[in-house]
Amino acid sequence: MTEVTENRTATDVLTIAGLSKSFGGRLVLDDVSLSVHRSTITAIIGQSGGGKTTLLRCLNLLERPDRGLIAVDGEPIFDRRVVCRDLPELRRSVGMVFQRFNLFPHLTAVENVILAPLDAGVPEREAVERAVGLLRRVRLTHRATAYPEQMSGGEQQRVAIARALALRPSVLLFDEPTSSLDPESTGEVLRVMRELAGDGMTMVLVTHELSFARDVADRVVFVDGGRIVEEGEPGQVLGNPREPRTREFLTHFSQSHQSKE
Amino acid sequence: MFQVPWSEYSVDLWEGLLKTLSYTAVGFVGAALLGLAVALMRLSPARPLRIPAVLYTEVFKNVPLLAVIFLTYFGLGSIGLKLDAFQAGTLSLVIFYAAYLSEIFRSAINGVHGGQQEAAEALGMRRISTFGKVVFPQALRLALPGTNTMLVDLLKSTSLLVTISAAELMSQGRLITSATFRALEVYLVIAAVYFVLCYPLSQGLLWFERRIQAGTPLSVGRRRRLRAAKALLDRKMSAQEMSTQEMSAQEITTPEVRA
Ligand SMILES: Nc1ncnc2c1ncn2[C@@H]1O[C@H](COP(=O)(O)OP(=O)(O)O)[C@@H](O)[C@H]1O
Ligand SMILES: [Mg+2]
Repeated sequence: MTEVTENRTATDVLTIAGLSKSFGGRLVLDDVSLSVHRSTITAIIGQSGGGKTTLLRCLNLLERPDRGLIAVDGEPIFDRRVVCRDLPELRRSVGMVFQRFNLFPHLTAVENVILAPLDAGVPEREAVERAVGLLRRVRLTHRATAYPEQMSGGEQQRVAIARALALRPSVLLFDEPTSSLDPESTGEVLRVMRELAGDGMTMVLVTHELSFARDVADRVVFVDGGRIVEEGEPGQVLGNPREPRTREFLTHFSQSHQSKE
Repeated sequence: MFQVPWSEYSVDLWEGLLKTLSYTAVGFVGAALLGLAVALMRLSPARPLRIPAVLYTEVFKNVPLLAVIFLTYFGLGSIGLKLDAFQAGTLSLVIFYAAYLSEIFRSAINGVHGGQQEAAEALGMRRISTFGKVVFPQALRLALPGTNTMLVDLLKSTSLLVTISAAELMSQGRLITSATFRALEVYLVIAAVYFVLCYPLSQGLLWFERRIQAGTPLSVGRRRRLRAAKALLDRKMSAQEMSTQEMSAQEITTPEVRA
């Protein structure tokens, strides 16, 4: 049992039902429903423009859905309108890691991790201890006082993971966490994520790392045109997809990524 | 050439210098606060806030400071709103420089990447702390060079207050000149005093800019937290064996966060 995994009894960390969202009249999410169980990894795959980022952003209400229901830890946070009492509090239980890291460039690595807990009222001593512990966890204690611009992409993304963990969220959302990284950095970040998975962290991750999804994910969700086309065990969805659209995507994907793998 | 009995005027000069510094300090602090408020109004999504802010900035950027000084001192006085020279002088400097500073602040705040606001929001930070702890410190770095230029410019512009006999350096110079009839000597000395004020100020500000850009933590809180983190890191590092297998030598790993 480590500090990030919380021991709650409910099995669903996230429940999404009938979620829709359009931008300027164009439907980007169309009636999406999904459940995420505690201590599982859900990998969302699909072509770019399919609505994966929008889906993730809806989950901590960075984006307001038009319709549908979202519940976190069994508590509805959105039910046709925002219903959670306190948006900041909700966001502390739903951590987010961005594709482009978005670290705070004016603060050192350890201060990046400290900032949000301090703001949430965690005593300074504890916030510092927590941050140092988390930097250790992402193997970056030696970079604690470096500024983001002095770090490699992989290091920055690992700091971003530590930062997102600092509030002890119920679930971590990752939006293509490795797609702006070189292969070595990608390996470092995936390794940290693998360890988090081993520790029982609940994660939802948009990714193009299909082999990582196959190894680590408990469920794979294929999103296309704003809809969940297919969802299931990684072996089934990636190895033996039911839907023609999924098969087509995987075929194209393996062709265009053959050189990389 | 030097025939003015300066020792007789040293008190006047000293008082003029202090006055100049007071105008500068009060004028600059006021202008920075008003400028920030105007910048935030211009960045607001609400039109009723934006429009007056735009008008304000455009009007005072396109009117000479001297006209503002005359308006606040003579103009307001003529309709019964009599301000003394210090009030009118500082008010003019605040109004005038706030327009320029608001432009500098606005583009600095705009220059902070949108992803920053979003990252702070995603971490559950409230709007005020997002602005105060994430956007503002970064905007400050962007705004620093322009703001520093304005500060030195403001100091020099206090000399325009001679026109309302504001008792600052330039006014003292004029008084000494009328008593001694040595305009060249007196104004050379006055100019030299301005130089001696402005040059170290601008050099000091440059040094400050470089320190800030280099990431030196200036706030007491940041220093304290960094010290605490370093102490913790040192302690844990020495307590641990560097007994890790595949990681490179400088990296320290522990399978668990805290036992
Ligand atoms: N803020 C926005 N305003 C307008 N359109 C958007 C916005 N965000 C995303 N979209 C559109 O929604 C669609 C889905 O985008 P996105 O969720 O980013 O897909 P993905 O992450 O799968 O690539 C795209 O066509 C994109 O252009
Ligand atoms: Mg995306």
